[in-house]
Amino acid sequence: MKFIHPLLLGAVFSVSFAQSDTDALKTLELQVKQLQAQIEALKANQDKISTLQASLSNSTMGDGKEVSVTKNADDITLLKKQVGDIKKHTAGDNVKWDIDFRTAYDNLDYKINGVGDKHNGVWTNKLILGMSASPIDNLVFRGALGAYKIYGQNNVAQNSYFQNFDWYGTQKPSDNAIRLREAYFLYMNEVGDMPYTVSFGRRPSTDGFLTNLRADNAEPKSPIGHNINMEFDGASFKFDLDKITGIPGFYAKLCLGRGFSDTTGAYSMNMSIMGFNPGYINADQNPNMDLAGLILQLYDNGQYKLMGNYFIAKNLMDMDITGMGLTGPNFKFSDVGDMSGGALSLQVNGIGDGWSDFLDDTIFFASYAFSKTDPNSNKLGVITPMGTISPMSGMLGSQDSKFGSSIYLGLQTPGIFEGDRFGLEYNRGSKYWRSFTYGEDTLIGSKLAARGNAYEAYYTKPIAGKNLVAGLSYAYIDYDYTGSDTFFGWTGTPMDVDKTPGAVKSAQQVRLSLRYRY
Amino acid sequence: MRKLLSFVLGAFLMLNLVSTNAFADAAKGQKYYLKFMKPATGMNGAEFARLQTQAGWQELFEGDATKFVEKYSKEYPALQDFLKSDKFPKSMTHIKDFCIEYAVDSGKVPSC
Repeated sequence: MKFIHPLLLGAVFSVSFAQSDTDALKTLELQVKQLQAQIEALKANQDKISTLQASLSNSTMGDGKEVSVTKNADDITLLKKQVGDIKKHTAGDNVKWDIDFRTAYDNLDYKINGVGDKHNGVWTNKLILGMSASPIDNLVFRGALGAYKIYGQNNVAQNSYFQNFDWYGTQKPSDNAIRLREAYFLYMNEVGDMPYTVSFGRRPSTDGFLTNLRADNAEPKSPIGHNINMEFDGASFKFDLDKITGIPGFYAKLCLGRGFSDTTGAYSMNMSIMGFNPGYINADQNPNMDLAGLILQLYDNGQYKLMGNYFIAKNLMDMDITGMGLTGPNFKFSDVGDMSGGALSLQVNGIGDGWSDFLDDTIFFASYAFSKTDPNSNKLGVITPMGTISPMSGMLGSQDSKFGSSIYLGLQTPGIFEGDRFGLEYNRGSKYWRSFTYGEDTLIGSKLAARGNAYEAYYTKPIAGKNLVAGLSYAYIDYDYTGSDTFFGWTGTPMDVDKTPGAVKSAQQVRLSLRYRY
Repeated sequence: MRKLLSFVLGAFLMLNLVSTNAFADAAKGQKYYLKFMKPATGMNGAEFARLQTQAGWQELFEGDATKFVEKYSKEYPALQDFLKSDKFPKSMTHIKDFCIEYAVDSGKVPSC
């Protein structure tokens, strides 16, 4: 408008100087009127625009709340935050489930001294239902249920006293029962600059550090898998010391566990009074079996990870044969003494520094572990070669303290296709080596418990992204001595496999598997 | 049999020496974070990943992660060397995968 008025006046004056007759004036009047009309139209349009702008910038919603165009950016940001909060809320305040299902075929082959070869092909389904919840930032629950079954009905219950033992209930194939694998909470807080975590429950104590690679699990569970790989109930107290010490990844974790609880259970019979015992009193048969351990992550910068552990296990047990019943020997557990042990393990996750993509993606590890027995003088009934029962004391066939050791080496590299991995492992155990690796998922028995040499090669290949992975593995154990992977007393007596009739001289296992994870 | 096995294993290793692997992997991302970024941020991987939502990380890593580099170079000047080095493009997809996997709205629960 500011521009239109001067233009009109200019037009009028310029025309008045150029024309002086009446027609010219009339023409000018007409033009002025037309221009005035246009001005009015422009004014009307301007008013409409102003009204529209006002309505947009100062409109109201149904609930009377003001919505402003100028506030739109803020509103969108707020909505984004609200959606994020809802997503976080629904994700964090509910139990989240994950699935790990593997179907596999295992071909097992044994060379037995004086007997010849024994072999079998076993089909299995292994299902682990993982769950987690975090109602508040510093409190976490985690759990896992597991069912690991042999295809179809089976007859293992008729052949094994220990098939569903608590230490490996979801790690050895059996029937279709769903068993508790993990259930624990984590409470996290800080003292000064030191974060700490307290945890109680059934531990995440299988497929730990190093052994997670052969199990194709990206995240290792709690202990070092070289000497401890079994299901366990207990507690842990972890202290993060990296900020205090300046050492990357440095933490200390105190672990306490109970491997055997001596109790009568509910409604047990007291034969001396011919009545029921009070519930869950001490059975007076075996002391509780306890374990205390210290796990140290000494260094972890992502590429180099050094971990160590040391443990003391009290009142370890073996089978005590109390006599020959109508259906055969009667077994119960009795303690044979204590044991201590430890491991020091280094993992190099990426060799060199940018030397090649292949080496950047290669993992190498080396680990040393030891065990030391401390037998007591309890005498347990054992079956002699003559078939009679006689008392014997000691651990691993000796009344003296025995030291055992093991080394464990491994290499995992990228394969030739996208996402596939190839691995090689080797371990060697000495005559008196004893590990707690009952939960190792190897059907021929724990290879890391071997008193002798063990080799493994494995290959994993993603089929449908990371959700469906094919696996092929081969494990070979060449035993020097018997008694690997059994209990701690006379059943663990190391005997030369070449001189002991019926001893397994070597064992091998080929596994083909398909694994679904989500 | 052993000779055949050795040959197959050897062939695998030889082929692997010339192969590359571009499969994005959160575990590798965590490794790279710990190695290259943690010293500069002072945060562990889980703390860092929780700085953004999944959508937030997606946005920051769009294209060549220009926004990610710009933002964290400014917030953590000690990160600049890594973020502007030739190591970052190689590890970027893995770090992105790790950040998204453990983002604040991922619902991922810290492990033991």
